[in-house]
Amino acid sequence: MSDQGYINYFEVLGLTETCKIGEVRNSYKKVIKQLLMEIGRSTITDSRRDAFLLDIAKLNAAYYILRDNDRRQQYIDDRARIISLEAQWNVAVEKNSDEMDSLRRAYDGALKHFLSTYMEELMLEAGRDRECVEASRWSRAHERHASRVLRHFRQRLYHEIHERLPFYQITPPEIDWDQRAQLVAETLADGSAV
Amino acid sequence: MARNKVTVKPAVDQATIDKCLAKTVAEGDIVNFRFLFVSYSPLRDSSTENIADERYAYLTEEDASGTLFDGALQAVQEPAVREHVMAQLAKNGPAQLPASLVTLLADNAVRLGKYRAAAQAYELLRIRGRIQKVYLEQADEALDKGDITTAVRGYRIAMGLDYDYAAFPEPMPTPSNYQSKAQILHAEYPRRPEDALALQPPETHVNVALGYLLLNSEMAGRLESRTLEQRLAFLVELVHQIDPEWAAFVARYKDAIRLVEKIGSRLQQQANKEARVGLAEEIEAQHQEEDPAEIPRLLLGRVLTNEAWWDYVKELAYAHPAGVLFVVRQFVTRDLEIIMPRYVKESPLIQALGLALD
Repeated sequence: MSDQGYINYFEVLGLTETCKIGEVRNSYKKVIKQLLMEIGRSTITDSRRDAFLLDIAKLNAAYYILRDNDRRQQYIDDRARIISLEAQWNVAVEKNSDEMDSLRRAYDGALKHFLSTYMEELMLEAGRDRECVEASRWSRAHERHASRVLRHFRQRLYHEIHERLPFYQITPPEIDWDQRAQLVAETLADGSAV
Repeated sequence: MARNKVTVKPAVDQATIDKCLAKTVAEGDIVNFRFLFVSYSPLRDSSTENIADERYAYLTEEDASGTLFDGALQAVQEPAVREHVMAQLAKNGPAQLPASLVTLLADNAVRLGKYRAAAQAYELLRIRGRIQKVYLEQADEALDKGDITTAVRGYRIAMGLDYDYAAFPEPMPTPSNYQSKAQILHAEYPRRPEDALALQPPETHVNVALGYLLLNSEMAGRLESRTLEQRLAFLVELVHQIDPEWAAFVARYKDAIRLVEKIGSRLQQQANKEARVGLAEEIEAQHQEEDPAEIPRLLLGRVLTNEAWWDYVKELAYAHPAGVLFVVRQFVTRDLEIIMPRYVKESPLIQALGLALD
């Protein structure tokens, strides 16, 4: 199962979909320990702090979701659904089918749900889980800061996924980048723009 | 039973559609361009909204002329574009905007300095990031050649095209929110004079100023490898381009310095010591005629109802974004904290911006 922008929590822990709960626990403990050691060795800058927070949040979420059978199955189903909806929409666009709009709406709703559930809500929820708190030393202060980082992460992923989707709000543009560069040069030389 | 009189809306003619579209494209007006395609658009025959209504006069008014309008009209009248537009206006459901018109609209928006509109249009075209990069690359090339004005222009456009993907509820162009940034700059009270931003060594002062004025740490980071002279020249040009009224601020800044000097060297000396020492009453007693609260008013050029220091910082940042880089917070009485001008006279930045008294 590759990522495709829809976070793959099995990959985050270096596992496969058939892994057992014991493997999830062992892998999580090992990876989070390595990460905390790396943080301890690093000089913390603003951007590095955000990246570390995101890494911890991903690991916590992976453990929180995959160690529980119901949550894990729901996650696998939701992820499979979103990937399938994207494929269906692409096919509908290629065939110029009437279902294009309805599939696009279904996909967009599913995407927003997937990103907000698995890349924000459950990540924050995992940070309040006793086992995750113990292993990752996650605190309220981390959560306050992480909510901004996670929102940014989610929006960025949403944007990146959208980049590869069919154009629907607009006809596919034909961009001549040489012409663009020329136009930029003219705009800068003109000066009336500023 | 009386029936309501049903008024039938006249069909919208092709010339009106062309003109409305061309006007929004020429003006780089992405909001109204998108409005013309929504389900209740006055351009749709199926809509009850009537383009002839007075409230839609702004979409058709006659002032639309000039080179940009002519170019836009020509693009709108392209047979393929016209056919697509008419199909979208006749269609039930969300319209698909014609990319060629959106591209032209975005370019016009940049020409007219409407960067937020341009950012939205380029974002729709999914080329915003790359366009921003092209502007930055060409600006860096200009900087290599020593063409500071063009370089600053390029950075300013790139800055205007920035997008905030963490915005709620959905991504939107990054606003020039100097008011909030300025308050963050002055969030910590300077315990020692050397802690105050205005009294930092030129290297630090210039870097902080660039990070603040460019509103984007990545863009400011591109300039880090430049020499101090280059960054200084860039900063001075940036200040002038961002704030056309800079000269007026400089004059007021100098007046504020004169007032500080008038109030006494004692205030200056106290500013060099740790704050909040009870100097207030003494100063007040000695300088009844000169009110220190007048200093921030002079800097801003007007009196604020709420005379808190942070309100002056906020308002000053809005009127003259760079102005807040040359002021410090200072307690002058136990209860009164103001902002006042402070600078290192020898600083090349102060000299270049003409802030020092002769």
